[in-house]
Amino acid sequence: MKAVPVASSAPSLGVWLARFTPGQGFVLLAVFLLVLPWLVPNYQRVFVAEIFVWGLFAMSFAIVFGYGGMLSFAQAVFFGAGCYGFNLGTFYFGFNTWGAVISAVIAAMLFAIPIGYIATRVRHHHFLIVTVIISVLVTTILDSGHWKWLAGPYVTRSLTFVPEVPLGIVSFSFFSEMVAYYFTVIMVMLAVAVSWLLVHSPFGRALLAIRDNETRAKLIGLNVNRLRWIMFVIAAGIAGYSGALFALLARFTNLEFFHWTYSGKAVVMAIIGGVGTLIGPFVGTAFYLLSNEYLSQFFQQFVIGVGIILLLVIRYAPEGLWGLFAGWVRSHRSP
Amino acid sequence: MPELVVILAINGLIWGLIIALIALGLSIIFGLLDIVNVAHGDFFMVGTVLAWTVISYTGNFWLAFLIVPLIGMLLGCAVERLVIKPIENSPALSIVACFGLSLILQETVRATFGATPKRILDPIGITIPLLGLNYQIYRLFAAAVAIAAIVAFFLFLHKTKFGTWMRAVRQDRETAIALGLPSDRIFLVTFGLGTSMAMLGGVVAAPITSVEFRLGLDVLPLCFMAVIIGGMGNLPGTAAAAVLLAFIEGIITSFTEPTTARIISLVIMSVVLLVRPEGIFARRRT
Repeated sequence: MKAVPVASSAPSLGVWLARFTPGQGFVLLAVFLLVLPWLVPNYQRVFVAEIFVWGLFAMSFAIVFGYGGMLSFAQAVFFGAGCYGFNLGTFYFGFNTWGAVISAVIAAMLFAIPIGYIATRVRHHHFLIVTVIISVLVTTILDSGHWKWLAGPYVTRSLTFVPEVPLGIVSFSFFSEMVAYYFTVIMVMLAVAVSWLLVHSPFGRALLAIRDNETRAKLIGLNVNRLRWIMFVIAAGIAGYSGALFALLARFTNLEFFHWTYSGKAVVMAIIGGVGTLIGPFVGTAFYLLSNEYLSQFFQQFVIGVGIILLLVIRYAPEGLWGLFAGWVRSHRSP
Repeated sequence: MPELVVILAINGLIWGLIIALIALGLSIIFGLLDIVNVAHGDFFMVGTVLAWTVISYTGNFWLAFLIVPLIGMLLGCAVERLVIKPIENSPALSIVACFGLSLILQETVRATFGATPKRILDPIGITIPLLGLNYQIYRLFAAAVAIAAIVAFFLFLHKTKFGTWMRAVRQDRETAIALGLPSDRIFLVTFGLGTSMAMLGGVVAAPITSVEFRLGLDVLPLCFMAVIIGGMGNLPGTAAAAVLLAFIEGIITSFTEPTTARIISLVIMSVVLLVRPEGIFARRRT
């Protein structure tokens, strides 16, 4: 699930991930994910793919918060914008699946450019408040019915046909859950790989420097606001991409995806899993969706349980469930 | 038409006073504990639900004014001790913890109180003719209670020893603690007080709004707007901004639909953020 350097020789970053997962771990995980759909029934395949989509959404928050230090509650706007861009690409421009995904990313980034410009100019807790208020503004506009001239009917339109994935001369249909599974998982993996390269690039390191000590980063000549803005827009693109994958997988889009409580979901999933890494949000999402799937039969308000676990994680394991697990593995591995 | 404008403006004013009361609680918690209490709207919601509970069990609405703020104080203190204090060194995680708290509060209310919105009957039940309309006296009473609570809050802050301590910690945390102020107790009381104000706001607002577990989600952004426009940590500014915003929204509502009014005020707010990120009433806090 994680792209990891083959020679894990970069412990200086403090990202234990590089130290913990050797190449074999990654290969094992990849093999497991390839085999998994053959072991579970049809319905579960889509469910696993859904975990990946929401996990990517949670990861977009983890990038903004864990690497950029920005507690953003606007991720849902970009997820929704991704769904919207996807619908626009599909129905208005008549793109195929690839084109629609690209237009989703572009739509989310176009949303993020002005929002990020306003939000990244303010600091500290203002950032959170600004993202909440902007989300409320967007949802209020879309909810009010005034958006019809602005956005056309594309905000809530769902796919009415089974999507196809054209690959050169062959074309795969989402009619098969296998295709849906492999397409989604591979697309998510690609996004994770790109994000991994990004946060380990000089750009990502500059952001870590800003997160840890902004004054110092400014003094060594980094354009703090601009870098934060770029990071915000890229993370928005990832959120929009996950929105497009969701629209493909579930063939369903809804206005509620824009609401800031959906961002809150991403926050909860990412924090439970751990935000210091890219894999943590997926762990948190798997935890959240699995408990939703299997606990809500017995305990309707399972969200109360999730809330309590969130509080416990913050209190006792601030680096999340994945951090706990990795720490435990590492304690067994001292040379 | 002009009558309608006046009525809606008055309604806006009253709602603004209630929001001011809630936003002051948010602002004082922000100023002292340095966290944005995302669960603040849900404390307000719990206030309305408790008011409904008090009515349905005792049949007496006025009792709620006594009991609910007390429960708020206790609940706030418990939350501060159990949730906020252990992680006081990382403000960002505290905010996430508050969000977890908000989930817990909402779902608990949904599990116990139910998901369907309920209404509380006008507890005074007398209307006065106002510009050709029958106007509920309770609304005027609600405004009076909100004003009284806000005045009491400022008196507490400026006339009592504890209030002075609170202002001292807000102004310069390190120095205040170094001078030996009991910061633990101050933080505890501050969070309790803020929560209590939100829940009192809930009781006041209960008869003029519907009681529902999602209520907090609507109120929280309004408080955020007041806090941002008024200038973060600027208490009189926050109160003034809340009243002003609701008042203007009330007037705009008389010309267009409520959602358009809300959109206009949100856009105004974004412009304010662009031009003056520290709020329009911002004055140097030090």
